[in-house]
Amino acid sequence: MLEAKNIHKSFEKTEVLHDVSVNVPPGKISVIIGPSGSGKTTLLKILAFLEPADRGALCFDDQTYPFPWPKKNHIKPPWPEVTVVFQQLFLWPHLTLLQNLTMPLFALKRENQGKVDRLIDLLHMGEFIDRYPNEVSLGQRQRAAVARALLLEPKYLLLDEITSSLDVEQVSIILSLLKDLRSEGTGILLITHLLQFARDAADQIIFMDDGSILEEGGPEVLANPKHARVQKFLSVIESAR
Amino acid sequence: MVTFELGLIVCLVGLIMGAILGSLGAKWGLTVGLPTRIISFVLSGMPILVFLFWLHYPVQAMLGVVIDPFITASVTLATINTFAVADVIRTVLRDFPKQYMIAAQVCGLTPFQSLVLIQLPIVFRQTIPGLLMIQVTMLQATLFASLISVPEIFRVAQQINAQVYKPVEIYTALGILFLALCLPMNGIAILLRKRFTRDFSER
Repeated sequence: MLEAKNIHKSFEKTEVLHDVSVNVPPGKISVIIGPSGSGKTTLLKILAFLEPADRGALCFDDQTYPFPWPKKNHIKPPWPEVTVVFQQLFLWPHLTLLQNLTMPLFALKRENQGKVDRLIDLLHMGEFIDRYPNEVSLGQRQRAAVARALLLEPKYLLLDEITSSLDVEQVSIILSLLKDLRSEGTGILLITHLLQFARDAADQIIFMDDGSILEEGGPEVLANPKHARVQKFLSVIESAR
Repeated sequence: MVTFELGLIVCLVGLIMGAILGSLGAKWGLTVGLPTRIISFVLSGMPILVFLFWLHYPVQAMLGVVIDPFITASVTLATINTFAVADVIRTVLRDFPKQYMIAAQVCGLTPFQSLVLIQLPIVFRQTIPGLLMIQVTMLQATLFASLISVPEIFRVAQQINAQVYKPVEIYTALGILFLALCLPMNGIAILLRKRFTRDFSER
């Protein structure tokens, strides 16, 4: 279980997360939706052990990491059991996409060329896998970044808007991969604005606004939101489609 | 031979000391980085020849010492090289995009693996062309040492010319020698810059 409990986080005097608790269960897909600036990415970074909160705690399996951390070096984050694909992707620019995929496996002594080849094939990356990140499109980079994370076989996978530049077919491939991962027991937390993606994939929907969770529940939250703010946000997104 | 000896000392000392100073300056911006930048800035505004003469005559006169001109030239040029190299390395390290290290962390790489596999290769690619160009400039600057009586190649050329008076042949040969040395280095720097400092921005 990956869980954030009663998280408070401020940047200078602005509170960006107010008493937020989120549970990422293994073998489930949790989806966070909400407007820009609602604190989704900050929450994801905290869950990924990249951003310390001011108060609250993180729980990973049997271990609890209470905030504030005395010093970042004093805790040992459970990477890559918990790993992230960022919206900005952060592929290493001096390596080809293939090297981006295989280098972490080499460093972790988990080389598995068969799996790499299968994933390249599945994500249709064969044509551009030997190019550098700046030589391919955003959609191609997004696929490579997702592949890099998937190859690590994390227990918990956190994804921040990874489908923003993918076409319908690619989104459907990613969705199918995530469902496979879920069935293998991986806990997935996903930030997205794609409601259909959320409907198709989510076991749990979390709606955030202004640093708080306004509503959460099963996929039915998207069909019958109770909170007025959620209703308004969803209707704006639906009408923009 | 003296020219190559001088050039080698200047390059080696400058690269090693500059790398150390640049790394320390990136880590401790206020205590090391700022003084280094100020010294770098001052040195960049002072002609090499003036600095060389200043260390050779007034400083030694003030201190009441006489130092071998070869040592004076080595110290002067190595100092200039050190601060130029430190400036390049400090800037690249300071501006190194932290997100690449974050990506390495979440992929499970140890700090040492992140340094060796991610940070150093990127920093190396970004600094090496600039550092090569600086070394070419420093090699050319070794000629100034002739003006404080270091018997380096330019001074030898002058002496030979004084005896046989064949300035066209002698100075042309000297020019060709430096071209043969510096052009390949500049060419390599340009090639490396093209190859290594590709546009890292992602479309």
